[in-house]
Amino acid sequence: MKNTLIGFIGIIFLFACDSKKKPSADEISGVLDSVKIEEPAISEEVISDIIQQIPSPLEISSLLKEAETKYDKSHLNDPENISNYNSNFKKALALGVYGTDLGYTNIYGQNQDALFYLNAIKSLADDLSIGQFFDIGTIKRLATNSKNLDSLLLITTKNFNSINAYLQSQKRSNLSVLLLSGGWLEALYIVSQVSEKNPNNQQLKETIGEQKIIMDNVALLLSFYTDNDPNIKDLAEHFSQLQAEFNKIEIKTVYREPTYEVVDGMLVVKDNSSSEIIMTDENIDSIRKMVYEIRNKIIN
Amino acid sequence: MKKLIFALGIIFVTSSINQVVAQCNTDQYIEACIPKLQEGFTFLKSYNIDGAGGSKNKVEYSYVFTKGATYQILICNGGQGTDGIVLTLYDSNRKQVASTKYEGSTLSAIAFPCQVTGIYYITYTFENSTNYCGGSVLGFKR
Repeated sequence: MKNTLIGFIGIIFLFACDSKKKPSADEISGVLDSVKIEEPAISEEVISDIIQQIPSPLEISSLLKEAETKYDKSHLNDPENISNYNSNFKKALALGVYGTDLGYTNIYGQNQDALFYLNAIKSLADDLSIGQFFDIGTIKRLATNSKNLDSLLLITTKNFNSINAYLQSQKRSNLSVLLLSGGWLEALYIVSQVSEKNPNNQQLKETIGEQKIIMDNVALLLSFYTDNDPNIKDLAEHFSQLQAEFNKIEIKTVYREPTYEVVDGMLVVKDNSSSEIIMTDENIDSIRKMVYEIRNKIIN
Repeated sequence: MKKLIFALGIIFVTSSINQVVAQCNTDQYIEACIPKLQEGFTFLKSYNIDGAGGSKNKVEYSYVFTKGATYQILICNGGQGTDGIVLTLYDSNRKQVASTKYEGSTLSAIAFPCQVTGIYYITYTFENSTNYCGGSVLGFKR
């Protein structure tokens, strides 16, 4: 009877340890992987909170289209470069880079080019054991018709969101951080290229300057892994130099109370605050130069 | 001894039932929410609003909003209203920018044309909610 009681209490405690659900085989293997690479001192929850703040590279592509700048394939990383990426570190960075390139082709409705990027993305994602998030058949079907742009954007954005959530749940946030770093740097690279070709477009320069806020987040995320991963340490050093350039820029904000109106059941806010980016052309040139250097290291 | 085993069994079964009851499937609400983004808005993120059956009183996310873009955040759940879910938006200094609880009514969406790039906090709280469960989506347009 005593044994029965001990067994019963044991079962109760087993369930009580995880009140949500039993761990799956994938979760267990994710935990084991993370043990091998050593987890950062900071909690996964904090890392997750910072990761989710990083804006989508789609926003920059959308801005470029709105600014009536022409689609230029030469700004993008050639899908043929995929053979250069032979480690998980390089693959995760490249996945982020290609993700941004895919978004850029999608925003401009360049579906043929999008297909090349989709193939590269699917291949890298498979290598990183996250290929299950891309229903390549559906995506390709959508990509064959330019009328499906919204659906294509939606499905690819959802796929990348799912990948990030999955990597974090599997305690492989290091890959998620690399994916976001690659994606962000590629967006910064594209806007830097376009800005260089359109030197009178002040909005593009301001967009580069505003990246200071995201730069701080990306540098912080990378810093969590520098003790345990020499590749990330090397990347973080380059990003740190880029951050030093961004630190020469000042963003001044003037706060004013917002005003509101209700339109069709939605609260429409009028943001009366304003901000000013204090920077010189030399600041932007230095940032551009450094972005080109880091991006070159990442893609080759 | 039998009584003790019986009592432990009751505790175990009750706690399992509570877990099932409290489960919040946010995916269905998010899927219903995405098509409700107004025309011209591009989907960016989805947020789970899981108040764990009332044991959590706040769910918070954050995102860097960019000057010049307009953001739309929608709340969805099973019914027509928001089931007591209130969305409040704060700027990087934690100053309140907007709340769906406005002039006595609780709205289900906010549109925010951003003038200052920075981190914004998207907070969901519960007021007389029955399910403490919902989904939310963020979209943008330039």
